[in-house]
Amino acid sequence: MIPGKYRSVSGRAANNVNCGLHLVIQPSSLPEKNKVEFKLNRDTPSFPGRLLQHDLERNYSSRQGDGRVISPSPRNKSSCISSTTNLTELCGLEMKTTTSSLSAFGDSSIQTPSKSRIRQGCHSAGPNISGDHINLVNSSMPSFPILQHSSEEKSLYSDRLTLERQKLTVCPIIDGEEHLRLLNFQHNFITRIQNISNLQRLIFLDLYDNQIEEISGLSTLRSLRVLLLGKNRIKKISNLENLINLDVLDLHGNQITKIENVNHLCDLRVLNLARNLLSHVDNLTGLDSLTELNLRHNQIAFVRDVDHLPSLQRLFLSFNNISSFDSVSCLADSTSLSDITFDGNPIAQESWYKHTVLQNMTQLRQLDMRRITEEERRMASVVAKKEEEKKRESQKQSLLKEKKRLTINNVARHWDLQQRVANNATNQDRKDSASPPQDPCQTEGSTISPFPEDTGAVDSGLTSALQSLSVIDTHLVEVDGDTLSLYGSGALESLDRNWSVQTAGMITTVSFTFIEFDEIVQVLPKLKIKLPNSLHLKFKETNLAMLQQFNALAQLRRIDQLTVDPQGNPVVNFTLWKYYVLFRLSHFSMQKINGTEVTQNDMIMAERLFGILAHVASSELPQYHLISILGDARKKQFRYLLETKGKKPGIVNEENNDSKRLVGENTNRATLNYTTREFYNEKLEDIKEKKKFCKMYIEDLVKEATEINMKNEALQKLWPQMFIELVRDAVIETRNKNSYMKLCLQQITDQK
Amino acid sequence: MLSPERLAQPDYEYLAQRHVLTYMEDAVYQLLENREDISQYGIARFFMDYFNSVCQGTHILFREFSFIQATPHNRASFLRAFWRCFRTVGKNGDLLTMREYHCLLQLLCPDFPLELTQKAARIVLMDDAMDCLMSFSDFLFAFQIQFYYSEFLDSVAAIYQDLLSGKNPNTVIVPTSSSGQYRQRPALGEAGVPEGVEASLFYQCLENLCDRHKYSCPPLALVKEILNGVQRLTFYGFLGTLSKHPGINQALGALPDKADLMQDPAMDEELERLLAQVPGLVPAVTATPELGCPPSRTPPRVGSPWRPLHHPRKVDTESDGSTEETDESET
Repeated sequence: MIPGKYRSVSGRAANNVNCGLHLVIQPSSLPEKNKVEFKLNRDTPSFPGRLLQHDLERNYSSRQGDGRVISPSPRNKSSCISSTTNLTELCGLEMKTTTSSLSAFGDSSIQTPSKSRIRQGCHSAGPNISGDHINLVNSSMPSFPILQHSSEEKSLYSDRLTLERQKLTVCPIIDGEEHLRLLNFQHNFITRIQNISNLQRLIFLDLYDNQIEEISGLSTLRSLRVLLLGKNRIKKISNLENLINLDVLDLHGNQITKIENVNHLCDLRVLNLARNLLSHVDNLTGLDSLTELNLRHNQIAFVRDVDHLPSLQRLFLSFNNISSFDSVSCLADSTSLSDITFDGNPIAQESWYKHTVLQNMTQLRQLDMRRITEEERRMASVVAKKEEEKKRESQKQSLLKEKKRLTINNVARHWDLQQRVANNATNQDRKDSASPPQDPCQTEGSTISPFPEDTGAVDSGLTSALQSLSVIDTHLVEVDGDTLSLYGSGALESLDRNWSVQTAGMITTVSFTFIEFDEIVQVLPKLKIKLPNSLHLKFKETNLAMLQQFNALAQLRRIDQLTVDPQGNPVVNFTLWKYYVLFRLSHFSMQKINGTEVTQNDMIMAERLFGILAHVASSELPQYHLISILGDARKKQFRYLLETKGKKPGIVNEENNDSKRLVGENTNRATLNYTTREFYNEKLEDIKEKKKFCKMYIEDLVKEATEINMKNEALQKLWPQMFIELVRDAVIETRNKNSYMKLCLQQITDQK
Repeated sequence: MLSPERLAQPDYEYLAQRHVLTYMEDAVYQLLENREDISQYGIARFFMDYFNSVCQGTHILFREFSFIQATPHNRASFLRAFWRCFRTVGKNGDLLTMREYHCLLQLLCPDFPLELTQKAARIVLMDDAMDCLMSFSDFLFAFQIQFYYSEFLDSVAAIYQDLLSGKNPNTVIVPTSSSGQYRQRPALGEAGVPEGVEASLFYQCLENLCDRHKYSCPPLALVKEILNGVQRLTFYGFLGTLSKHPGINQALGALPDKADLMQDPAMDEELERLLAQVPGLVPAVTATPELGCPPSRTPPRVGSPWRPLHHPRKVDTESDGSTEETDESET
């Protein structure tokens, strides 16, 4: 143990003490490293232990925290001695010993067996006298106790005075002691600093453990270098204006809520504000010599200005309320900081804590009392790099997500608008049935189309990438793993792009949102070619309102699953829709509809409900009509393709063949197909035209026929009479056989 | 073809009135439409096919609405086709909404107008609560009246409106095409006046209408029978009774009687045959007990899974309670 070591050299140290205050160390003259070590050794048990609380606590197993060693245990004396040490150090009179001798000197104090002996050793009867005086004069209230030394004592210990544990409630008047350099009022009940303004040579003032509420009465002590006000009731740092030489300021264990009025202390090396009520750290400018700042056991949430402390080496922030590195980020800018503690803060619980700190503060040598090894540093940088990458990635992700969200919102808004327009249009249509049915989607579409288009092909080499996202103002295409999500009608155009075989093969789920089902129908043939493996279709907000619309899905190659979100798809409210889907798409032998497994009973039920429809449709449909319906279906698919990519004949041909096969579906269901409203209206127009022609044609025919019929009837009416007339003429002619013969002969001869 | 009337009017008008022209036009249109395919199997055969299908009533399947409503025969055929195809839905006991019935109609006729379905639903539901569920038979009979006598009902609505407002409809009746006018319930300013119009006066007007009406009307005798039973009646009360009247149904001839509405043995047999070959279920079918028994002998209602799909309600094939109530209040 360290104390033991000290003890071993104690005898010599005692000698030194006896020699008076000749022992001096000039800290500046010591090499940096030595100094550190020296401090460690020397300070541990002694006064700076109060300032360097971390050391103290480490040695005492953190038992006392920042509090001073108050209990009258053997250690109490250390404070007294320490002050001496400090004094010697500060006085800078004479450099007499090396580090070792100094530490020995420090130890000497420990060696001094008891409080009384110190007093005797240092001041002999001084304290005793003062105690008497106090007792004496305390009764007479107006005046203060007056302290007087015997001249003998004065000459011996002329520069120091210790009034420890004297139950003083006020500062005694100290007369004739102008040369006093060290004054100790530890462990009294002093409430106000008074009566010491005459001690202008005072260097060291210890008021530890009193009841002082305000810093005052110090304005004349210009040479004061050490001011110890720990464990008092000070609420505010003030009245230090003239103490420009202050080197050590200890304010721990008070009730200070903010750091202020210290900016002029340009020589201050040590500032202890542990165990106060600080909520944050700032206003530290001007403390150009500050090397150590103790802020343990406060409620500090953030730290600022530390980068304005050019000499700061040690900063103790243990047991505060720091929860993120951002709130102490200024530490990273401090070049001098080499030792820092964060333990007992929320931040220290984080997994990223250590490497974040190390990464950001490369100048650090110790973190939470532990030396930082190179290995740790390397690790930290690696981890930090990874972290950084991850962060960037997640940032990117969240950015994309946000973008996606915005786009989807935008699409949704468009969709709503479109729906409203469509509703209005249909209402108008209903009201004014004479007007030609205007297509709201068409008009709306024309306003949408001028929106920017992105041109890049969807994914190229990024097959493994989970996200390839192309965001456009009014629609969104997203490939996430095996799912292709399309938002907004514009997204359907993505099917026109060149899909890599791999990506296209990977996609098994296609989800449509905010797209008119009729528009989807038109791209289904393309979907079939481009994404041959799509097995699961999802529809949401697609205006699926009729059972017949499901017919359109039958043309696909295969569907295993179908999900129709009730949102924006009124058809889902129908009792029969599932069965109709099962019935119409029975050739796919679907497995799931809206997430529910399809059972055999479902299949049977579907067949029971709609089987007759299929039967009627197939067996009773007159053949001419059957041909025209199937032909229509083929033509229609062909047309959807032609319309969108007429310039690529190869694909059209391929599709042509494909459609001629007309899939292996149940032929008795093939007649149940769906034509989008647009096409159907066109078809009706077409029909109207042709009908008109047929009507005219038939009209002409029938008119002709009725005319002929009329003539025929008239002829029929006339004919009997005509016949009779003919016969009569003939009879009259042939009545006289001879004359008739003559006539005939005459005719023959005439011909010749 | 050789009815005596034929001689009373010019041929052309006769053909037009008998809708022969309609079918001829349509036949030519079909020929025109599919001339490549048809020429392959012969034009004569095509015409035979066509007129055969007209006779059988299958010519209206999946045709456009304008054609389906063009002739009474087409309308009756459509009604029959609808009944045949979706009888199973009714048999299952499902109560459906107007929209769902409309979807079923659209499966047979893609451009079937919603308005007609709505009107039919209104006959069943008697008020504007259009989201109510209806039984298949209720809807079907109401729809029959609405669809088959569509123009007639529009005129009746106009007459009714005129009677309500106190005008003498006998002066002139313009069948207003603006439907929906009569939808608004008459504002009963005087609380004492009972709802509806006087039956006898109403009948006179209808009689008058039927005489002049060029579209098909329900048999006047039956209308008289309906109207004789009551003092006053409302428009929907009248339609409701009309739709439930078995005589009218018979006269129309498209649908079987209400009692036999769910019976169609030929089709049931066909269905069982189809069920036996549900794709992918062939081995399983034998495993399920209710299908294991010979399908033709099993009465379809017993032992087969004819259960309501989602609404475990009482199968209400007889009539909709609400209509019944209103009827009683009328009588």
